[in-house]
Amino acid sequence: MAIHILGIRHHGPGSARNVKDFLEQVKPDIVLVEGPPEADSILQWAAHKELVPPVAILCYQPDDPQQSCFYPFAEFSPEWQAILYAKQQHIHIRFMDLPAASQFAIEAEKRKEADHTVKPENPIDTSNDGVDKVISSLALMNKDILYKSATPLKPGQPFKSQAHKKFNSSADTDESITDPVAFPFDPIAHLAHAAGYAEGEKWWEHMFEHRNNNEAVFDAVNEAMQALREGLPQKNDRLEQLREAHMRKVIRQAEKEMFQNIAVICGAWHAPALTNMPKQKDDNELLKGLPKVKVECTWIPWTYNRLSFFSGYGAGIVSPGWYHHIWQHPADDGTLWMAKVASLFRKKQMDTSVAHVIEAVRLANALAALRNLSKPGLEELNEATLSILCNGEPMMMSLVQEELIVSNRIGEVPAEIPKPPLQLDIEKQQKKLRLPPTADFKDYTLDLRKENDLERSVFLHRLLLLEIKWGAKYEVGGKGTFKEQWRLQWDPAFSIDIIEKGSWGNTVEEAAAKYTANRAAETNTLPAVCGLLQQTIPAELPTAIQSLIEQINNLAAASGDVMQLMEALPGLVSITRYGNVRKTDAALVMEIVTGMITRICVSLPAACTAVDEDAALHLLQLFEQMNGAVGVLQQPDITISWQQTLQIIASGKNTSAVIAGYSTRLLADHKLMEGEALVTQFYYAMSTATAPAIAAAWLEGFLKGSGTILLIDNNLWDVVNQWVEQLEEEIFMQVLPLLRRTFSNFSKPERRKLGEKVKHGGSTGTTKQVVAGIDETRANKGIAIVMQLMGYKTN
Amino acid sequence: MSTILRQHAEQQFAQELEELKKQDGDQRPANWLMSPRSVVTYLVGGQLKNGFEITPKYIGNKRLMEIAVATLTTDRALLLYGLPGTAKSWVSEHLAAAISGDSTLIVQGTAGTGEEAIRYGWNYARLLAEGPTEKALVETPVMRAMKDGKIARIEELTRIGADVQDALITILSEKSLPIPELNTEVQSVRGFNIIATANNRDKGVNDLSSALKRRFNTVILPVPDSMEEEIDIVRRRVESFEKVMELPAEPPALQEIRRIVTIFRELRSGVTTDGKTKIKVPSGSLSTAEAISVVNNGLSMAAYFGDGQLKAYDLAAGIIGAIIKDPVQDKMVWQEYLETVVKPREDWKDIYRACRDLGA
Repeated sequence: MAIHILGIRHHGPGSARNVKDFLEQVKPDIVLVEGPPEADSILQWAAHKELVPPVAILCYQPDDPQQSCFYPFAEFSPEWQAILYAKQQHIHIRFMDLPAASQFAIEAEKRKEADHTVKPENPIDTSNDGVDKVISSLALMNKDILYKSATPLKPGQPFKSQAHKKFNSSADTDESITDPVAFPFDPIAHLAHAAGYAEGEKWWEHMFEHRNNNEAVFDAVNEAMQALREGLPQKNDRLEQLREAHMRKVIRQAEKEMFQNIAVICGAWHAPALTNMPKQKDDNELLKGLPKVKVECTWIPWTYNRLSFFSGYGAGIVSPGWYHHIWQHPADDGTLWMAKVASLFRKKQMDTSVAHVIEAVRLANALAALRNLSKPGLEELNEATLSILCNGEPMMMSLVQEELIVSNRIGEVPAEIPKPPLQLDIEKQQKKLRLPPTADFKDYTLDLRKENDLERSVFLHRLLLLEIKWGAKYEVGGKGTFKEQWRLQWDPAFSIDIIEKGSWGNTVEEAAAKYTANRAAETNTLPAVCGLLQQTIPAELPTAIQSLIEQINNLAAASGDVMQLMEALPGLVSITRYGNVRKTDAALVMEIVTGMITRICVSLPAACTAVDEDAALHLLQLFEQMNGAVGVLQQPDITISWQQTLQIIASGKNTSAVIAGYSTRLLADHKLMEGEALVTQFYYAMSTATAPAIAAAWLEGFLKGSGTILLIDNNLWDVVNQWVEQLEEEIFMQVLPLLRRTFSNFSKPERRKLGEKVKHGGSTGTTKQVVAGIDETRANKGIAIVMQLMGYKTN
Repeated sequence: MSTILRQHAEQQFAQELEELKKQDGDQRPANWLMSPRSVVTYLVGGQLKNGFEITPKYIGNKRLMEIAVATLTTDRALLLYGLPGTAKSWVSEHLAAAISGDSTLIVQGTAGTGEEAIRYGWNYARLLAEGPTEKALVETPVMRAMKDGKIARIEELTRIGADVQDALITILSEKSLPIPELNTEVQSVRGFNIIATANNRDKGVNDLSSALKRRFNTVILPVPDSMEEEIDIVRRRVESFEKVMELPAEPPALQEIRRIVTIFRELRSGVTTDGKTKIKVPSGSLSTAEAISVVNNGLSMAAYFGDGQLKAYDLAAGIIGAIIKDPVQDKMVWQEYLETVVKPREDWKDIYRACRDLGA
């Protein structure tokens, strides 16, 4: 009987190759892999031809989906190769890590403990989020495949990894205060320094990943780690000990089941702990009575971007795209890679000749020779690319970084894998509507007049309501309301959102409706509910709309605040107009709108009295919107009641002057106050007895907007002009400052035009329309290219 | 000590080159004096197996030097690109010295550089007397380098007119130089290559045609990364200057160099070292090379007009001269810097007073 411990680096193509070769050579009858035992049952899918890495095993707590973790696998992950081997050879394979059920439970306990122990008066401690989160770069060797999603405690950063954080037991609280910089956590760095390398990762790569001969490499790793574990201060980390104890337990179990040839794949750091087995009793003692929670597992597609350092995870690999390349083409001397770079540049309209590629490969090889490397690595290739293909300009390198070194590869998961029903429904719809999830963003312009596009839009709006932010909606240029512009970018972390929202329903439609209805019930300000309604209408959720409308009705009835009603109104009115394109039942909304306008008309006159200047100006804006909204509705009875309200306000003695002036203007616009009546009203408001400030405010309201109205509307012009002309000199002197105050708000050209109009006797003030001659749609197209040229990402 | 004002790199560092050659065990490209790895060691410094210390010539990223040397082993030419004063010519001189043992095959590019300065010229007296013959031909440094398999250097490549630049294309791609007048050609011997320098701050330069660009690998030399690196550069260069000039002044205290470097770095980056105050940036490039010359200048002042000790007063004139390139704009920038940054610094009082006294 033999036990082979293979210490590896997670996501190392060299390790993966070594593991594969080793397994083929040794032919074990069982393979044990570091991973959550709960996922054993879904391992049967690994050999499925539709399961394409990068994929991840997602473990989550069904009653608290945010409590979850990912175990990602790329094609070049040693674990993945081990799993594939086992499946192909039809031998047993098991995960041997501490069950996620216990890990979740232990962490939950820790958090509780941390909450109790952390005193709020110590700001440094709280910023570290307590005892259990001291950063440890051990992660790389240790648990970097274990990405932990956030705790509900930190809603701001929902998917921050905790994997690289050290979980101290409560016993060694003191250690957490140790400065993480002063205490080098990365054990590999010790070996790397000894070998004269600056970084641990680079050393590992040269020592173990880039080798072509793999004889005894696992023994070497094992010995190196053994030396490290002896030399470095042992960390008294309970979780760590539990994990290793459980791994040993699984190995013993396999022995007991009479497997003859056991292969164990684990992070290199754990290798010595599994080789030198302590007494079985000790381990059992440790593992006794561990807390547990309910955990479920499934496969989800993953992306290379998520595997990389740059997406917010503390642990990961810098260059998944490059690893993929060397996994696929282990013998490449840079030629294939450079060809890929060149074709990428060509695709982006940058001239790259074959001669460039030849020279770049030569330079990379020359550099490798200079540095005593057997073949060029990513650094040499990048330097050659920069020097030859980019003429030394680093800007273009960012393109290579994004597209090739990290790459946008996204995994696939077969449809028949047991998944949360909501996830299934989303996938079904994605397929049906031909909206495939992609790792890089893709733009869609939807024409809502088409059946499929309308359905797509409804689907995307529903996801937005569920707070699954796959698509972002953009303003679209051009005429008509039937077009929508969307940008879609899939993120594997949406799986969590989907599971979380799964409690609201089994289909997107059901979940969105229930979730929205729930939000409606919880919201208690009118504008917020109206905003929600505006989002819900395009998602076509009649039940949700019904409850939103009820909520609006309730709130509107209870609200004594006219301003709130007026703020909400324009949005609702635009919905009634929108309804035409979307075939939604606008009548429902119409009912509320009528109700609300009636309410507004009743209480508005009172609201316009005794308000201070700031409030009056705010009200003035609402007036403008309100007037516009009434105009849009084009319902005679509404218009009439609105006009009657205006009459009352305009003639009200106590109405705020600005508003009275504006109401008068609106009435004049509606042709309800003309000729003598208007003149009378105007003269009355501007009489000398009125305090200058009030008169000025009235005039400001009357001429609201701009001086242009005076220029164009000859009726208004006549009223003002005649009034000024008939003023006696003495009174004119008195009102002059007041006029000046109003007119000084107009723009300069307007004032000049007004002056000219007075000069010409005020008969004809022709205004010319200036045509800029810019086609905005065409100009917009150019902007993206210019931004790209400048090296900005266009979003 | 010889009476030569400035010695070539291969003369000044003859011993280092000799030791490197002796120790060199790696393979050498044809006509190279030493292996590429030794060339890199010569540039960035280090200790040889027998304990001999090689002084660093280029202080900065070793990888850049590796790219430069690796380029010269391929058949592409090397273009060193960067701001004025980032050691482009310095690196090119030392590369040529280490590879060919000869850094003198140099063409200075100007707007008036003609084709005859790059390909070949004629001795007109002979040409008239004897007609076109080999003897009437005047060889250029480039032609000589081709014949001998050495490195030719072209300074300020982009200042040369575009038509003249393109004369290099045949030389770099066919590795030969036709002489139609004599119906012959010069074919380059192995080991020949060209190192060109160009700066990216100048206006009115001639961009390389893409045909020519394709024949060069570009290495951009950056301004020093860190304060410490820059201080190190200035200190080393000033020390070697002292040796050459035999100045009686005492070597400058690190403190003094640190202050100069701080002033230059702050003005160059437009922000104070602590990152708290924004500063206007003057029009000059304020390179490390200029910082070196300011210290050298100050040393001379101290030696001949002062008491032999480098004081703030000796440095002030040099600082002002280096920073104020535009009499109106830069003067304002400098005064603002002086009043807002220099003045409040407790131990900078002497510099402040010295600069104020000079009336700038």
